[in-house]
Amino acid sequence: MPLLETENLVKEFGGLVATDDVNLTVEEDERVSVIGPNGAGKSTLINLITRRLDPTSGDIRFKGESIVGLDPHEVVQLGVSKSFQTASIFPDLTVKENAEIAALAAERGAFGFEFLKHRNSLTDVHEVARDTLDSVGLLDRSDTVATDLPYGDKRRLEIGIALASEPDLLLMDEPTAGMSPEETKSTVELIEQVKREHGLTFVLVEHDMEIVFSVSDRIVVLSRGGIIAEGTPDEIRGNEAVQEAYLGGVEL
Amino acid sequence: MSEKTDTATASTDTTTSTKSETAFGGSLSERWEQLRGREGTVVGLTAIFVAVFPWLFARAPVISDFVQGYQSLATLILIWGIFAIGFDLLLGYTGLLSFGHAAFWGGAAYASGIVAKNVSGDPIVMVVSGTLFAVLLAWVLGFLSLRRGGIYFAILTLAFAQMMYFMAASPLAFLTNGENGLTGVEVGSLFGMIHLEADIPAFGGMLLGTWLYAFVGLFFVGAVAVAYRILNSPYGMVFRAIRENEQRAEFVGLNVWRYKLMAFIISGAFAGVAGSLFTIHGSYVPLQSLFWTESGDIVVMTVLGGAGSMFGPVLGVGLYLYVENIVSTIQALTIPFTDIVLIKDFGFYWHLLLGAIFLVVVWVVPDGLWGILSRIREFVSAKLGGDR
Repeated sequence: MPLLETENLVKEFGGLVATDDVNLTVEEDERVSVIGPNGAGKSTLINLITRRLDPTSGDIRFKGESIVGLDPHEVVQLGVSKSFQTASIFPDLTVKENAEIAALAAERGAFGFEFLKHRNSLTDVHEVARDTLDSVGLLDRSDTVATDLPYGDKRRLEIGIALASEPDLLLMDEPTAGMSPEETKSTVELIEQVKREHGLTFVLVEHDMEIVFSVSDRIVVLSRGGIIAEGTPDEIRGNEAVQEAYLGGVEL
Repeated sequence: MSEKTDTATASTDTTTSTKSETAFGGSLSERWEQLRGREGTVVGLTAIFVAVFPWLFARAPVISDFVQGYQSLATLILIWGIFAIGFDLLLGYTGLLSFGHAAFWGGAAYASGIVAKNVSGDPIVMVVSGTLFAVLLAWVLGFLSLRRGGIYFAILTLAFAQMMYFMAASPLAFLTNGENGLTGVEVGSLFGMIHLEADIPAFGGMLLGTWLYAFVGLFFVGAVAVAYRILNSPYGMVFRAIRENEQRAEFVGLNVWRYKLMAFIISGAFAGVAGSLFTIHGSYVPLQSLFWTESGDIVVMTVLGGAGSMFGPVLGVGLYLYVENIVSTIQALTIPFTDIVLIKDFGFYWHLLLGAIFLVVVWVVPDGLWGILSRIREFVSAKLGGDR
C-alpha cells in the first residue's frame, strides 16, 4: 500500500485547470521530487494534499484512507506535515517555542483542555522540540526571538517546525526559494541529513535542479497541471519530453 | 509578562551557555528576576497590591488627599480589572478583537441581578449564575462569530451584543425592567452573616474598607492566578501562536478554531465574573451595561494599559476610571498652589483628555502604559547590572 496516493485528482480555478487528472503515488521511505515550469501546478498539488484547497474531483488517500473532507489540522495529525515556501514561523515567539508549538500538536493532539497545567511539565513536548532544534542546528539559538534570526535560519526553523510535528510524510514547498547559494547549500545538507537520520519520506517541490537530482529517488514532472514524465533522476535527465516542456531543450 | 516568564522557564534548563552564566550571578536584581516569574510571587504581589490599594487610594494621609480617591471607586477598578484581564487573553494574546464584550459583562450583570430578585441574593450564587450565563452565551456567540476573522469577527460580535441590548430594552423588559435598568436588586449577606456593604472592623477595615472590597479583591487575586496559569499552560503558547501566524498553527496540526473558541469562552467567563460583581457592587444593573460603548471602553482600557501584558490592562482600567470619575469632577484647572485658573470647567472635557492620552500612548508606546513601565524597568536593571 502506498503511503500517499492521489487518484484522478483535478483542481479547476474558474476555467483554468491547475491540476489535471494527476495520479501520484508515494511509497514509504521514498524521496519524490515534483518539478515543472512556473504555473505547472506544483504548489496547487501540495495545497490539495494538505487540504488547503478542495479538489474539484478525484481522491487523495493517505495510508489507504481518503483525506478529502478532513480539515488541514486533521491531515497533519494523520502524519502529513508541510514546510512552506516562505518562512512561515511564529515571529514573536522564541525559536524554542516555535518548535514546542509543533511538538505540542504532535504529542498532545489537535486540541486539549490543559489550560491550567504548567507547560514546564510537558516533558515529552520539550524533548521533541529539543531534538528537532538539534537536528536543524538551531539548538544554541533556542532563546532567540524567531524574527531576529537571519533569513536562512528562519527557513531552517520553518523546516524544523514541520519536522517537530513528527510526520510520516513531509511536503516541502521550495525549501530553498529566496536563499543565497550558501544558504541553499546548507539547506541541501540539512535535507540530506534529515533523510539519513530520520529515514523520512518526503515530497519535494523545487526549482533548483541540482537539489532535485541529488536528493530524490524519483522525479515527477508536471506541465500544465498534468504529469508528463516520471522516473529516476537518470531517466528524467534523458527524457526528451521533459527537456522540451520544462528545460526548453537545454542539455543537462 | 509572558516573555519574562519564559526566561524564568529557560533558567531551569542548564544546557546552553548563557543560562549557566545567569545561574552563577547572585546579585539582588538577578535573584529578583528569577523570582518575579513564579506564580507564587505574582499572586502574592497581587494580593499585597489589593490589600494596600484602597488605603493608599482613599484613606492614606497626603497621598489620598492628592489623588482624591474613594472606596467605591477602588472596588470598581478591581471589577473592571477582572474584565480587562480576561479581555486581554482574547485581544492581546490570541489577537482577536471582539467589539461585543458588553454582551458578557452586561449579560452576566442582568443574569445575576435577575437571580438575586427571583431566586437567591446570596453573593456567591449571584457570581456563579452570572458567570455561567456568560460562559454559555460566549459559547454560542463565539461559535457564530468565529466563523469569520478580522473585521468581520469584530462586527459580528458587535451586532450580537447590540441585539442583546435591544432585547433587554424592550422585548425582555418584563425580566430586565427595560430602559430603567434592573432596580431593586437586594444583595444578601455572604454566608448568611457578612453584610458586604459593612466596613471591616479594626485593622482590616483600615486597609481594605468594606467587606465588598475584600470579596471583590479575592476574585481579583483569583482572576490573576487563573490568567497566569492559562498563560503559562500550553494554551498560552497556542494563543500566541494563533496571534502570530494562524495558518501555520493550523498546519502544525492544531485545531485553531477550537482554541479560538476556548479563548473566547475563557474571556467571556472573566467578563461574567466581573459583570456579576458589578451588580453586587451597585445593587443595580443599568441598561447601558449592554450598550456598545461598554464594549468600546474595554477595548480602549486594554489597549491603553498594554494589550498582550497581564497587568497592563489593569493599569488602563485604573487610568480610565480615574479620569472618568475623578478628573471629571474638577471644576477648574489651576496652576498648583495658586488660584490662577488655566481651564474653566476642566472636568467637563474628560473624554477629550482621555482621547488625547489614548492617542499619545498609541502613537508613542504601542505596548501601552505597561510598555512604558517595562522600559523603565529594563533601563534600571541594565544600569544596576552594568557593573557585573
